[in-house]
Amino acid sequence: MPRYRQHRRLLAITAVLISTAGSVAACGGGGGGSGDGTVTLTFWTHTHPPMIELNKKLIAEYEARNPKVKIEYQTIPNTEFGTKMLTSLSTGSGPDIINMDDNALRGEYIPKNLLAPVDPAGFGKKSAADLEAGYVPGTLDGAKDAGGTLYGVPSEFNGTAFAINTKHFQDAGLDPEQPPKTWQEVIDKGKALNKAGHKQAFNFLYLHSGWYSQWFQTLANQTGGAILSPDGKSPALGTPGTKQALDLWVELARTSGIADPKTSSRDATVPFQDLASGTQSMAIVYPWAMEQIRQSNPDTYKDLAVVPLPQVNPAKPVSRVYGYFWAVNKASEHQAESWRFISYLAGQHDRWLSDVSFVQPVTGWQDSAPAKKIPGIDVIAQAYAEGRYDQVGPHWSEVQDTLRKAVDEAVFDGRPVDAVLNEADEAVRRSLS
Amino acid sequence: MTVRSRLVGWALFLVVAAGGIAFAAVLAYAVVSALKPPGEVLSVPLRWWPSQVDWHNFALPFLETPFARYYTNSVFVGVVVTLLNVLTCTLAGYSFSKFSYPGRNVAFVIVLATLMVPLEVIYVPLYSLVYDLGWVNSFAGLIVPAGTSAFGIFLMRQSIDAVPDELLEAARLDGAGVLVSLGRIVVPLVRGPMAALALFIFMMNWDSHLWPLLVASDDEHRTLPVGLAAMQANNLGAAGVPMMMAAAVLAMAPTVLLFLSLQRRFVEGVAMSAGIR
Amino acid sequence: MTVTTTTPTTRRPSPPGRRRPRVSGRNVLGAMLSMPALALFALFAIYPGLRVFYLSLFDYSLTSPPEFVGLDNFTFLAGDPRFHEALLHSLVYTVGTYLPALALALVLAVALSRRMRGAGWVRLLYFLPVATSWVAISVVWRLVLHPDGLLNQTFGLDVDWLTSSAAATWALVIMGIWKETGFFLILYLAGLSRLPGEVYEAAQMDGAGAWQSFWRITFPLLKPITAICSVMGVIRGLQAFSPQVVLTDGAFGTEVVNLFVYKTAFENARMGRASAVAVFMFLVLIAVTMLQLRAFRREDG
Repeated sequence: MPRYRQHRRLLAITAVLISTAGSVAACGGGGGGSGDGTVTLTFWTHTHPPMIELNKKLIAEYEARNPKVKIEYQTIPNTEFGTKMLTSLSTGSGPDIINMDDNALRGEYIPKNLLAPVDPAGFGKKSAADLEAGYVPGTLDGAKDAGGTLYGVPSEFNGTAFAINTKHFQDAGLDPEQPPKTWQEVIDKGKALNKAGHKQAFNFLYLHSGWYSQWFQTLANQTGGAILSPDGKSPALGTPGTKQALDLWVELARTSGIADPKTSSRDATVPFQDLASGTQSMAIVYPWAMEQIRQSNPDTYKDLAVVPLPQVNPAKPVSRVYGYFWAVNKASEHQAESWRFISYLAGQHDRWLSDVSFVQPVTGWQDSAPAKKIPGIDVIAQAYAEGRYDQVGPHWSEVQDTLRKAVDEAVFDGRPVDAVLNEADEAVRRSLS
Repeated sequence: MTVRSRLVGWALFLVVAAGGIAFAAVLAYAVVSALKPPGEVLSVPLRWWPSQVDWHNFALPFLETPFARYYTNSVFVGVVVTLLNVLTCTLAGYSFSKFSYPGRNVAFVIVLATLMVPLEVIYVPLYSLVYDLGWVNSFAGLIVPAGTSAFGIFLMRQSIDAVPDELLEAARLDGAGVLVSLGRIVVPLVRGPMAALALFIFMMNWDSHLWPLLVASDDEHRTLPVGLAAMQANNLGAAGVPMMMAAAVLAMAPTVLLFLSLQRRFVEGVAMSAGIR
Repeated sequence: MTVTTTTPTTRRPSPPGRRRPRVSGRNVLGAMLSMPALALFALFAIYPGLRVFYLSLFDYSLTSPPEFVGLDNFTFLAGDPRFHEALLHSLVYTVGTYLPALALALVLAVALSRRMRGAGWVRLLYFLPVATSWVAISVVWRLVLHPDGLLNQTFGLDVDWLTSSAAATWALVIMGIWKETGFFLILYLAGLSRLPGEVYEAAQMDGAGAWQSFWRITFPLLKPITAICSVMGVIRGLQAFSPQVVLTDGAFGTEVVNLFVYKTAFENARMGRASAVAVFMFLVLIAVTMLQLRAFRREDG
């Protein structure tokens, strides 16, 4: 009877499915050590292709030298990194090694006690102070708690610089040797560039809220504004310096008309696309961005010059720095091994410079051979000296969302700066309470 | 039929056909964009046709990313989840429809109520459960929690309700067991809804992004939507746009093909459950 | 009469709910058949669902143990402008997308149910968007909605679809209608193919115009389908999440409730508050669904 066979087939399928599920399940999981003493370390970073490539190389080298260590490397898009981290940490597990920006470190992970303090032994040092002595003073502050305990070492340390397209400058009859020193000059030169047919003279990048807040802090550092009060307990978005920062943004992006913010790329797919493709004449840049452009658009790259960040007050230049740090999960069962691996990564600072243009601020880095090869490195080194880490606080991504909303409404919808900042101030107050 | 009503019918049809072309234009735009050389995708004025057809863009995702791997993973997970759903939902629908036992209606209502809780919050407790089961970074974590669906049970119950009790009664008198009746009488009559269910489940699974990201986003188990998002984040320069388009078009292909192959049965299937009350 | 013959299954539908008592042994076996599904449900849907209800009474940051706070999460939400805006955005998106989508689907179904050469192809054109996935299609739509994209250039518009509070909501609505109409078209076509053809033809012989025969005959007969469609529309609309994530990430007045839930839980680590929103939306959906079903039943009666 075919029908009875059908019924038997149904049962057979069930059995197969259940056993498949079971056997597949058995393949998964399996974290940490195994019988032969092999240690598996999981390592998560955000996505940045040149960085991923070097990480893979370094992992292969490390595994070759340490046959008992296996590194499981996973990359997660920036916008999803926090989600993925939080969920995996909620079970009291998660990756062993994380590469994370200083905002997240100081805003969330350190205060919530999720990370292990740096283990100097992993670096062959006696104490954290010994380890710190190898870095430019102040550069590790991005990974410290209020008491000064260090929770990570920098994988990249970024100062803010400015890039101009020298060819566009020549087209407009401007001297590329005289880059804009103030934001007012950016507007003036922008108008000249517009006349020469370069309609996108200067634009900010409007990607996810993290990008909004980094531009905001860059400007606010110069205008003397702040997001939070000095004690971090209340919002400070209504203060004159903060208003001045957003006013400046609106003027640069909207009222001056030197570029159309609406055509600026909005997805993190191609952050500096407009600069790289030779459409945009001026942009705020970081060392890694220049390297990315060198690889993707060599033709444009040769026309770009890295110059100091324009200022509100050129007599007292202020910049913004940020860093990513390798850190170890407090729940990791292999902390010592993790730090040893990080020590290997951190020891390759010359390659991070030459391959990815990631600066690791070890003492004397700017005099190393690969640093000398990076154009404009003196500008970047200078920016570090004038740089300041961001202010952060609890529930920082909520605050960043609030900032994004305020900027969007002021820049794109044209709402008055006072009104959007008052609303934002109220929203941040709710976030902090 | 009057001339007037026929004319109205034709006019309506023409408008509808024009609308259909407008709907499909978006997809055509995607396909054409995928064939363009970099830089032509967003040109002013708009140009529909590429200056030169660049089929190479369709190869790029495979050459530059583990696209084949993502694809295989998605197909594997999709097929197993779909089979599991068809099986569990048909059995449950049959049970809820043709048998009476205490708790039956309560169970059915609770199943339906789960449709009303936003998935995004469910994922947090679900993740810790799956973690405890040791299924993080495994296909089991992707497959087993998706093994049944409230919508599917609802669909199958409604469909099996329409199977006349007399047929089952007759089979019972012939000595057919519960499962034999299911295989011999019910299943042949609800093939349509089963096909519809299969399509819906496959589509939903194919589109699922957040759960796979949370539970299994290592290279070995990464599915297509997670892979696409990562590709988006990884691609540099204008050169990446046509490649992303090609990837997007390739990612649509299986659902479109499945849809085409099941279309007939599918329309029939939904009617069975929905039309008959 | 040609169009709408019925399959054997539908000829004698048994009245649901009223069934003869059966031998209990059979029923035990029958009950067992629901076990695989129910076991999966209990473990992977009901248990986490109950957990969400429980967590709505706690302050829970995901990485430290939950702290009981009673109804604090609910009182916070009652006074939270961001949540209120999200509710409003969800409401606008639901009405803006699903009302036109349903109406369009109904009209399309009527036009396409006629036996006409090419109708199958046109149907396919409307079906295609349903078969695409949000993640893949967002890449395409971002190009369509770009200031220099397909939409603006084709119609000579200068709308900032994705970069203004005035237009972003409608950009999502347009995309939503595009993607969702086919889903309801399927349901309506299925319903139409079940209508007894004689009724239709008789009406036309009476001289009832196409318009009148639609309102007097077709539409009332489609009421059960319309009921299902409107319930599904509300559920899909109020639970919208993917289109907003992939296209705007909630900027420019498009942060809908489920996106707010997602951000609250995962980005801001306030799982308790996110759970409270979920509980609230659960109750809203149950209430709206019951109201809808009751309204349709009363009209029927």
